[in-house]
Amino acid sequence: MAGLVTTFGAGAMTNSIGEIRDADFLFVTGSNTTEAHPIIAMEMKRAVSRGAKLVVCDPRSIWLTEIAHRHLKLQPGTDVWLLNAMAHVIVVEDLVDKDFIAQHTENYEAMKAAVLKYPPEEAEKITGVPAEDIRATAREYAATKKAGIYYTLGITEHTHGTDNVYCLANLVLMTGHLGQPNAGLNPLRGQNNVQGANDAGATPVFFPGYQRAADEEVVAKYEKIWDTDLSRAPGLNLNEMMKVVGKKIKGLFIMGEDIVLSEPNACKLEQGLNGIEFLVLQDIFLNETARYAKVIFPATAFAEKDGTFTNSERRVQLVRKAVEPPGQARADWQILVDLGNACGAKWNYSKPAEIYDELARHVPRFAGISHARIEKEGGLQWPCPASDHPGTLFLHKGGVLRGKGLFEAVEYRPSSELADNEFPLILSTGRTLYHYNSATQTRRESGPHTKQPEAFVQIHPKDAERRGIADGELAEVYSRRGKVLCRAMVTREVRRGCVWMPFHFAEARANTLTTDAGDAVTGTAEYKVCAVEVRKASVPEPQPAD
Amino acid sequence: MIQQAHIMLNSKPAACRDGETVLQVAQREGVFIPTLCHDPRLKPAGACRTCLVEVEGQRRLLPACATPAAAGMVVKTDNDRVKRHVKGLLALYLADHPKDRASETGAPDQLLDLAERFGAPTDWPAMPNVRAARPGDANPYVHFQPEKCIACARCTRYCAEVESVHAITLANRGSLTTIFTADGRGLMDTTCELCGGCIDTCPTGAMTEKKPFLTKAKPERQLEKVRTTCNYCGVGCQMDLNVDHSANEGRGKVVKVTSPPPGTTTNDGNLCVKGRFAYDFLEHRDRLTMPLVRGDDGKFHETTWEAALQAAARGLLKIKTEHGSDALGFISSSRCTMEENYLVQKLSRSIFKTNNVHQCAAT
Ligand code: FES
Repeated sequence: MAGLVTTFGAGAMTNSIGEIRDADFLFVTGSNTTEAHPIIAMEMKRAVSRGAKLVVCDPRSIWLTEIAHRHLKLQPGTDVWLLNAMAHVIVVEDLVDKDFIAQHTENYEAMKAAVLKYPPEEAEKITGVPAEDIRATAREYAATKKAGIYYTLGITEHTHGTDNVYCLANLVLMTGHLGQPNAGLNPLRGQNNVQGANDAGATPVFFPGYQRAADEEVVAKYEKIWDTDLSRAPGLNLNEMMKVVGKKIKGLFIMGEDIVLSEPNACKLEQGLNGIEFLVLQDIFLNETARYAKVIFPATAFAEKDGTFTNSERRVQLVRKAVEPPGQARADWQILVDLGNACGAKWNYSKPAEIYDELARHVPRFAGISHARIEKEGGLQWPCPASDHPGTLFLHKGGVLRGKGLFEAVEYRPSSELADNEFPLILSTGRTLYHYNSATQTRRESGPHTKQPEAFVQIHPKDAERRGIADGELAEVYSRRGKVLCRAMVTREVRRGCVWMPFHFAEARANTLTTDAGDAVTGTAEYKVCAVEVRKASVPEPQPAD
Repeated sequence: MIQQAHIMLNSKPAACRDGETVLQVAQREGVFIPTLCHDPRLKPAGACRTCLVEVEGQRRLLPACATPAAAGMVVKTDNDRVKRHVKGLLALYLADHPKDRASETGAPDQLLDLAERFGAPTDWPAMPNVRAARPGDANPYVHFQPEKCIACARCTRYCAEVESVHAITLANRGSLTTIFTADGRGLMDTTCELCGGCIDTCPTGAMTEKKPFLTKAKPERQLEKVRTTCNYCGVGCQMDLNVDHSANEGRGKVVKVTSPPPGTTTNDGNLCVKGRFAYDFLEHRDRLTMPLVRGDDGKFHETTWEAALQAAARGLLKIKTEHGSDALGFISSSRCTMEENYLVQKLSRSIFKTNNVHQCAAT
């Protein structure tokens, strides 16, 4: 997110989902698209059956690798090496788009100097990906006009997540794959409204619409709009807050999240929560974090309220109330208005459309969007600066939004935790098709539950054999921070030395294992790399409960 | 200037573009041609013969869905010969199909709709429907009613061409033709990903949602469709919640989820297992229904909104006074709406004077 704002001037998919089917080259990295974004995967399948070339870059064999023309099965955490080596090939073989670089970018020389230190042969030793595959991918990418890059959390959930994004942006800029249909750089958002929440300014570094909180003019502008004085002190991001809960942070307000289940290094976090003085929670279920709450507001689900979600392709779409909430549950926006007023505000919004208008009025790129317009015309993609503007299918047409696309020289830094003798395996965590995040919704469904009833860890046959673990046996996965019990799934889908777990299961919380080391820029935690060991479980098989 | 290519459609000129079929031209021109096996997301199969039209110079009627529109073509969609064909064909389809609207428990049955529209005779001798079902299939979502199947193969083609999982296939021949899985296994034991696309594309309701079917919910025609945005991943699929407003003591119930027609929204008529089926949580008994405040006994007690709001305000303001603004943190959610996220950051910044505000899952 922050990475793309820095390099391009906007943190969102540069292109639209509907453009995927007509792309000729797809580079999919750190995205198990069929499971996390099934509908986008359908578009990719469609492109491939049309004849597009697909290269998947992922430490695991995933569904898409079956139809991919090439699978770059890299060692987790070595993305910078691989991507810099691709850039190396493009520079050395002179496949760059010189006109684009001259007209639309800056800092090319610094980036060039950096990537020259990353030859494919060296990259092979570190990433495990054959140099020839790196070369071929780089050549094809550079030579294909309609070549798009797609990525998700596999790229960003690292201590060097922003670096990974910079590397991808470098590839896009050096080949001029920007400002045109079917190409570009496309982060696929994991949750329904990640884009909208960022757009709305729910981040310490930005006011609504990516106006920098560190910019005095911006703060002064909002002091006028909100008619109050505002703090200049920089805010903490989520990762930083979680580390000082109970210490510096004495009170928390949490809307719609279960931090105990979803934040990394959960044992440490719970210690912190023990020391918290006051916690208010607003949710639809009593979640794990509720144990530490003083007040709980019963909130509403998407089908019970009005508002908007903004999808990965910057399209603002309506959420409409279809049924009444249960009991006395209230719409979240209504609770926030009530709470604000109880704390001394004088807010008198009578419906979400009015809140949207206030937000959009002061952000040029949203100014043309309103609930009334979406009601009439369907979803609108920002930038949409005026009420007669049709919205924007793909970004950076006729020039990079930032003015000049910024090349970043990126050096490889190892992940915050590497395998060693004591913890020789690298654990990555992720999502499966049948569940969603902490699964408070999907685990209450019969279908997902029958197809994947319990937590599992994927382990390579060689690694399993050395530990005397057979497929389907109970295993203990442990790290420096915690331990969980789950079913071993012995499979060649993972590399030797690597294991993989889904993070949906409350009784086998993968987040008790993961480290809370965060990306330097975004604070996004490293869910994709931590060192663990696996052993055969010593406890007896649990008996099925009722 | 390049002359735009035309065909003559019912004696009127109609522009045609490269690669278009006669059906596509007709649809753009607003000329109705009945179809059953056609789905714009699939390669034309030309299998059901409902869409036959007369093309000058061709002895036989041709399927509009599979016939490329060539410049100069003279096409008739509504003359007596075509009408007679459609009537007879629909009557044949009806011979082993339930003719009573009461059989329409789920989605509208387009075969019955077409029969009505064209006045197809319903009194042709009935034939027993001999298609095999899969009675042992324990999957929770998709139910197959063989008596309603017309073997148009939209479901199996969708499964292969769009979802690419090939879980279901056509089996047997002639009137025995049915939709089957390898060895007749339940869907859970196949490559099926339970996307429900087979239900969405089925023109007769033979593939249907299992839960509303088993609970005898109201048929789709009696439900109100509320267009909304899916609350799972970041694709933003548009979907229609099909609501029975009288259910749940007037609270209303989402009976099922359907997708908007292909070609109208980003998701092109597709949904995944979560979007199409995972909405039971709305009515789950664990839902919070009352504000709760922890008492001196350490337990939660139900209370009024007024009391809970006051308690929350007091607690948060106390931290601000005693430890300063930056001792507070505000966490919002990418699951909630844009408007709600805006209010959380406004609450944090303008009331509590801190920039410690972040949404969970910031990437
Ligand atoms: S719709 Fe053309 S043959 Fe079925």
